Amino acid sequence: MALLRRLLFRPFRPLVRERRTLPGILSWIGLGTLISFVLIGIFGPLLISVDQTKPLAYPILLSPSLQHVMGTDGIGRDVFARVIWGTRTSLEIMAIGALLALVVGFPLGLLSGFVGGKLDRLFVLVMDSVYAFPGLLLAALIAAVIGKGIFNIGIAITVIYIPLYFRVTRNQTLSTREELYVEAARALGARSRTIMLSYIAYNVVIVIPVIFSLSAADTILTAAGLSYLGLGLEIDVPGDWGRDLSDAQRFLGSGIWWTSLFPGLMIILLTVGLSFLGEGLNDLVNPLLKKERA
Amino acid sequence: MPKTGSLAAYAVTRLFLSLPMLLILLTIVFVVLRVIPGDPIAALFAGRAPPDVVAATRHQLGLDLPYWQQYINYVAAVLTGNLGTSIGESYHGKSVLFVILDKLPATVELAIGAMIVASIIGIATGVVSGTNRDKPSDVALRLYGTIIFVIPVFWLGQILQLIFAVGLGWFPAQLRFSGLPSPNQITGLYTVDSLLQGRLDLFLVAVQHLVLPSLTLGLVLSGFFTKTVRANLLRTVNADYVEAARARGIPEGRIISRYAFKNALIPVVTVLGLQFAILFAGAVLTERTFSWDGMGMLLLKSIDSADYPMVQGVIVIYALIIVALSVVIDVINGLIDPRVRY
Repeated sequence: MALLRRLLFRPFRPLVRERRTLPGILSWIGLGTLISFVLIGIFGPLLISVDQTKPLAYPILLSPSLQHVMGTDGIGRDVFARVIWGTRTSLEIMAIGALLALVVGFPLGLLSGFVGGKLDRLFVLVMDSVYAFPGLLLAALIAAVIGKGIFNIGIAITVIYIPLYFRVTRNQTLSTREELYVEAARALGARSRTIMLSYIAYNVVIVIPVIFSLSAADTILTAAGLSYLGLGLEIDVPGDWGRDLSDAQRFLGSGIWWTSLFPGLMIILLTVGLSFLGEGLNDLVNPLLKKERA
Repeated sequence: MPKTGSLAAYAVTRLFLSLPMLLILLTIVFVVLRVIPGDPIAALFAGRAPPDVVAATRHQLGLDLPYWQQYINYVAAVLTGNLGTSIGESYHGKSVLFVILDKLPATVELAIGAMIVASIIGIATGVVSGTNRDKPSDVALRLYGTIIFVIPVFWLGQILQLIFAVGLGWFPAQLRFSGLPSPNQITGLYTVDSLLQGRLDLFLVAVQHLVLPSLTLGLVLSGFFTKTVRANLLRTVNADYVEAARARGIPEGRIISRYAFKNALIPVVTVLGLQFAILFAGAVLTERTFSWDGMGMLLLKSIDSADYPMVQGVIVIYALIIVALSVVIDVINGLIDPRVRY
């Protein structure tokens, strides 16, 4: 249990230690954005009635006003309400997609890097092949076969991010394996399991928040993309940024901008926040960059 | 067998090494379409067809055979270029390969346009950023690189349509061609075909339609170039041979353009290979935004009309293109940097 707690808190130590550097500030901005979105996702739907997100709730295509700050869309739904409910939907898919990829990719990478040999080469070949293939296409194919829905889309997206977790974890494991302290532990007679979990995993886990943030940003984009292509969620989901953008397409020609602008801005705010967090953390934990800064 | 260390030997080796990757990709497509739980035929029909039609379709496509037999049939079919015939409404009975080859040029044209935009904008911003380290222009361009990369490509397309097509009316918002009869099919790339026929008027129409989609996809891809060029330029501007050039009194502008820039581009080509995955995924979305009648639209239409052989065919062709491009990029890399050859 103590080990698990150490593994969980370890990645966040540099965030506190270097909060005054530029990467530190970027990370905090990103973390702040993520937390705000999580709060919106949890409390927003409690404050805004789901009825406003349904068709024919209001007159269609009202431009933004005090009653409807973001206007209404082509079938009479309040854009603001859709955008707020969409936050919850996106975060749910992100949580499923990125967490499942972590749960599968991290142990595989650790094992592959630690054991090495034929198993490692096979894993690397398969993972690299998946990684080279356009993620959205693979997710679209999986979604078309297993069907729509938040959980199914989460699964379809997981498959394309497992290679990312695998790759980074494996490379980090390979370099950590050669460290003197691992050698020393081995010489003292520590068991393989102990070495892998307390020595290697403890030092590899530091890269996880970096990949999590970057893949989470990508997850949001891919999920929105799938919905935009009509392969994402069921039509009755109360908020779905990708589908809202798809619905907005028909009215662009008449100069209706609000149904397109606002859902897109939400996607960008969230993904930019996540990439600030990811890139800031990357600068903090990457020792090579750190040396350059000093 | 060509001499070891020669470019030809490297190309041949690289080609053979790509075979496992191709086989793995084909296997993944097979697993997704046939082995994972869920019935693709039923899912594609989505309850729009009675059970006996679903069963008959499955039998007709050989999907009721044991997996090993299906796998052998499938790999053999792909390797002989026989991707089957369409069962969808629009292309019923037509050869899948034939339909795909008809749509492929549109996607290629879009991809080339986007790559041109991405390299011009990305390299320019990367050089400015890298030569002004930590100055405001560098910070601004680094922010650009981060932000543009996570903007949804379809949203950017819609905003550009609102501004340049609806608002200003400079470019058409939809389709590959309109107004005049499209150029005769030679290569399938409208810009090239119109020039081959010496029709400048058709060429202008084709380019006008190409501008917004290429700009949309190219802008999103450019952020990656900005970052990579900047990072590599920072490494090369302080290299010993650049210091030596500086010591000889060569002007700074010339040092950047002749010494640092060239070497900074080598790693850019290497990572370019990874960008094709993003390029093709982005192209599917961009095609939808601009009603651009390419492979992406074909895939969506096939999923929509339960055209199983076509869906499989399109994905297999994407896999072939990705593998082929990775080989080409590596060979180009060997061409410009002799150190990477085996």
